Amino acid sequence: MLSRIADSMYWMARYLERAGETARLMEINLLYLVEAEEDMGEEEKWRPVLEITAALPQYVELYGDDAITTQRVLQFVCGGRTNNNSIRTCLRLFRENARVARDRISKEMWEAVNDIWMTYNERLRGSITLEKASNLFVELRNQVARFNGLLAATMMRGEAYAFCQLGGCVERTDMIARILDVKYHIILPDIHLVGSALDYYQWAALLKSLSGFEAFRRTNQSGFEPKAVVDFAVFEHDFPRSLVFSVDRAGAALANIGLEGKEKTAAAFAALQSLLASSNGETVFTNGLHEFLEQVLSLLAGFHNALAEEFFQ
Amino acid sequence: MPPLSSPASSGPKTSYHEFYADDFSPRDHYRLLWDHIRATGNNALETKDHESQLALQTEGVTFTVYGESEEEIERIWPFDLIPRIITAPEWSRIESGLKQRVKALNLFLEDLYGEQKIIKDGVIPPELIYQGKDFRREIVGIVPPRGIYTHISGIDIIRDEQGDFLILEDNLRTPSGVSYMIENRVIERRILPEFFNKYRVRRVEHYPSLLLDALRCLSPRGKGTAEIVLLTPGIYNSAYFEHTFLAKEMGIELAEGRDMVTINDIVYLKTTKGLKRVDVIYRRIDDDYLDPLIFRSDSSLGIAGVINAWRAGNVAIVNAPGSGIADDKAVYPFVPDIIRYYLGQQPILKNVPTYQMTNATDREYVFDNMERMVVKAVSESGGYGMLMGPSSTPALRKEFMDRVLENPRNYIAQPVVYLSRHICYMDGELEARHLDLRPFVIYGEDIQVVPGGLTRVALRKGSLVVNSSQGGGSKDTWVLAE
Repeated sequence: MLSRIADSMYWMARYLERAGETARLMEINLLYLVEAEEDMGEEEKWRPVLEITAALPQYVELYGDDAITTQRVLQFVCGGRTNNNSIRTCLRLFRENARVARDRISKEMWEAVNDIWMTYNERLRGSITLEKASNLFVELRNQVARFNGLLAATMMRGEAYAFCQLGGCVERTDMIARILDVKYHIILPDIHLVGSALDYYQWAALLKSLSGFEAFRRTNQSGFEPKAVVDFAVFEHDFPRSLVFSVDRAGAALANIGLEGKEKTAAAFAALQSLLASSNGETVFTNGLHEFLEQVLSLLAGFHNALAEEFFQ
Repeated sequence: MPPLSSPASSGPKTSYHEFYADDFSPRDHYRLLWDHIRATGNNALETKDHESQLALQTEGVTFTVYGESEEEIERIWPFDLIPRIITAPEWSRIESGLKQRVKALNLFLEDLYGEQKIIKDGVIPPELIYQGKDFRREIVGIVPPRGIYTHISGIDIIRDEQGDFLILEDNLRTPSGVSYMIENRVIERRILPEFFNKYRVRRVEHYPSLLLDALRCLSPRGKGTAEIVLLTPGIYNSAYFEHTFLAKEMGIELAEGRDMVTINDIVYLKTTKGLKRVDVIYRRIDDDYLDPLIFRSDSSLGIAGVINAWRAGNVAIVNAPGSGIADDKAVYPFVPDIIRYYLGQQPILKNVPTYQMTNATDREYVFDNMERMVVKAVSESGGYGMLMGPSSTPALRKEFMDRVLENPRNYIAQPVVYLSRHICYMDGELEARHLDLRPFVIYGEDIQVVPGGLTRVALRKGSLVVNSSQGGGSKDTWVLAE
């Protein structure tokens, strides 16, 4: 297929995943706002979201450094004009890439793309009150799920489909690593506190951000032991939103695309796989979770660059 | 060209009504439709209208208007529920007239880029051709396969006050609208299936397969191994919806210039698996942008080297480069002569009377009657660069006169023709609006006209401008079987 179209399929999936993940993060954070301890300020509650979605620098530029409020963050993350990662921008770029690859996606998918854009374009730019916000995010996640369902049910299997899958997996891996990194550091500001009794709500929020709360509970009923949570979120092969699961799935997509003559991409992906294969909850905790996640993110970026060079140009 | 024998008559005339025979009753072929509409009632029409708008929105049937904000310039295709009906005898005349015209225009192009007999024989003044900006000296002497230049033509037809069909414009470069013709039919069938029970309407949805056949025939490697691409300027082009539509319908690659590269006079697509040879390029960009090595060097939309590959016979380009001179509006008044010259026949469909601005007598007459004239720039399309006399201001008329004097070859004028009217469903009421017709002609193994076309409607009351870029809408067009 055309290199440019492959690029569009990949980014179409990435932007939708990013919009969906951001909506999930916001939804959980709103809940957490209600559940968390009262003495926690808005600033503390929302800064991590801006960090995870890489929107903090633009936010600070617009509002100044010490002005993080719920209302502003809601507005900024949903449709802030200067926020390159706002949900609205993600949806716009999702549609734009779908339009470029219009001849490769099914009619059902295309109609869903338009439906999503028509439903959220204005809403995300308008005023978003606290009362309306939760519903908005829940609905949006449902729309994303619906699109992914149509993709699975109606799209021809082949290269284009594989690039969609790959884009979704890369974005999800990226998001999971960021969520773990940022959230974990808030929960555990001091590494010596490992193993101490931690706030149930904070761990619950982290797991819910990954849609893994119930699944974790079923496998770990003894409580929120940090090592167990990380082991689950990073290394659980059966959990569809763990790091290894996403990377495995990216590997399957790559196999369908075919890596013949694409040495750089193959090498970059192998490096990411081998890091995950050679680590476990134990080694990650000994060497530092933050260091490990940084390594994951940098290998992922390396993989993306190799892919862009060998496939998209 | 002598001054026209019948100058524009004074005062506005009454336009032909396609639907009504008189104040009380519809024309015969509309009677069944009319009975049905009356039996259904306004409420049902309202629902249907709403459904059709929703369907167009969800399906993303859009066009893009230039020159507005950066982000939201995409507009939903405006569609009117009430179909326009053309009877079998009417169509048969249109069809034979179009075939004749397209045949002659292709012979004309082959001659212009070859021996130029028509100029030597004094039928066409040489300066008319040489001053035309769409005459491409760079390709003189190249003969495309079978001498066909315009594989696809979209020729605009209007009906005058007497109901006669006249040719308004020949669009021979990259005519658009065919996807809307098909979408209109698809929507009409879905929303108003009961309408179709009452008439035998000829089909139009097979247009893409006719086109695909014509394109495959052009492959230098033979019909069996034809790698065909549709070359689009990209998602910001006004007709991008149509480009994706056609690429999908034909199952061909939708490519931009940057997706292709020319090596040793062979054009290749850049794919994830390496380079892949291209045989036929259905381009939807103008000559100017096609090849920066030959035409505009600042263009990044085209493919460097594609003209040389075409010259070498390694790739077919559809429509052929250089076709634009034949639909130059200054050449238009000569088309009847062109038909007589090459075919020895009288034109079946007449032109709209046209004044040459290079002719001092014509020009003076036009300047004296500006309010009743349409002044058009010769190589513009889409309703851009045009003065509509009746709705113009004195300042605008003055501006156009200055422009004409500055470059007379660049303008023509026509007396305003009051385009025929048809009923349209406008916000709950049935109201009359002016319209035209753009049928599509494919020149492959032979010349075929798809029975139908795009009926464009001027949605603003009283307006005579049907272009979608200027507030125009559309209708499904039914050509009735015998």
